[in-house]
Amino acid sequence: MKNNILFSVLFLSFSLFSGFAQEQKMADSEISAFKNAVNATAKNTKTLTTDFTQSKHMDFLSKDIETSGKMNFKTPNMLQWQYVKPYQYSIIFKNNKIFINDAGKKNNIDKGNSKMFDKLNKLIVGSVNGNMFDENEFTISYFKTKDFNITKLLPKDAALKKYVKQMELYFDKTGNTVSQVKMIEPSNDYTKIIFKNKAINAKIDDSVFNN
Amino acid sequence: MQKLMIRFSIISILSLVFTSCAVKTVKDFDKMEVTSQVYKTPYFSDKNEDYIYKASISVYGNDFGGIFIVKKTNETTHRAVFTTEFGNTLFDFEISGNDFKVNHIIEELDRKILINTLKRDFMLLLKEDFKVAEQYENENFKVYKSPDSKRFNYLFINKSDSKFSKLVHATKSKEKINIEYLSENNTLADKIVIQHKNIKLRIELNKITN
Repeated sequence: MKNNILFSVLFLSFSLFSGFAQEQKMADSEISAFKNAVNATAKNTKTLTTDFTQSKHMDFLSKDIETSGKMNFKTPNMLQWQYVKPYQYSIIFKNNKIFINDAGKKNNIDKGNSKMFDKLNKLIVGSVNGNMFDENEFTISYFKTKDFNITKLLPKDAALKKYVKQMELYFDKTGNTVSQVKMIEPSNDYTKIIFKNKAINAKIDDSVFNN
Repeated sequence: MQKLMIRFSIISILSLVFTSCAVKTVKDFDKMEVTSQVYKTPYFSDKNEDYIYKASISVYGNDFGGIFIVKKTNETTHRAVFTTEFGNTLFDFEISGNDFKVNHIIEELDRKILINTLKRDFMLLLKEDFKVAEQYENENFKVYKSPDSKRFNYLFINKSDSKFSKLVHATKSKEKINIEYLSENNTLADKIVIQHKNIKLRIELNKITN
């Protein structure tokens, strides 16, 4: 019995230790190399298509809410985010407008004069192409693990802070593109999005971005 | 004679008042003996269940959607949370009997009139025990009438399969809110429509199976 407890404590401290050990702070030189690599990739990315799975975690629920779909992005700023399961819903960001198709019910929002929408739009597009190194908007810290380079962004804007406590972007080390996004809310509930089957610079017809 | 005339006039005026104003909800129904003192609604009563719905809200011609989440957190309390499709929380309420607590609401929605409307809707939706004061019946439905301060709730139960299919929230003379339920198994509501009668507000909830 005593041994069991000792073993559990040892095991727990070991896993805690390894948990911390997995994520290391990047050195300054690594940060600039990483930023350059991401910016170079983003510059060469004309289009991006990917599947995604999204899980919404709320502490009071027994299970995370899972949704999934497809994402299409075309420079400079056309983005389609399409949920396929368990419901049909798509949202398109194009020319300062937002087009929504909610299971066939179509809706447009002119975000021209909404600063908040603009910020959310930038956040979403930035999460996809990784162009989020804006020190005026965020306090950014950089970490690395075996597989990922990680940026953690704390919003500076008071309005944005009310929605987002922290954004975490996971870049896979091989392609320098975002493969996971975690958006943590002020309540500490979070949304995690994982990108799969990414294709860069595949041809995407403009009509994809029509509602 | 004069006395009789006066009495007659009073009766006719009164009957006119009553017939023109009475709520039409159980018109043409037969009034029955009350068979049970309390009716328990089934649709949000399981603590182990995460109730997740895709919501479509239409208010004065504007449509928007999101995810509506309900969890029964203890015997008397429900959490009701609304998020965008992306997962951002728009509001987070806690309802316990007649107590209503706003855990969080985004600034853009923080309007007293909106919160009060949602409060009434969700309290009706999540209320589990209804005291039965009167009981009615027609060919298809059994109806329980339950007092709700100065108003009343009418609960419609299908006679054929005992499913709770509609709630009408009304004053003495007017229907205010209708909630319709579609349920496959009688424990989960697959589709819920909340329709307001005095304002142009309609909330449709479709169950999401994870």
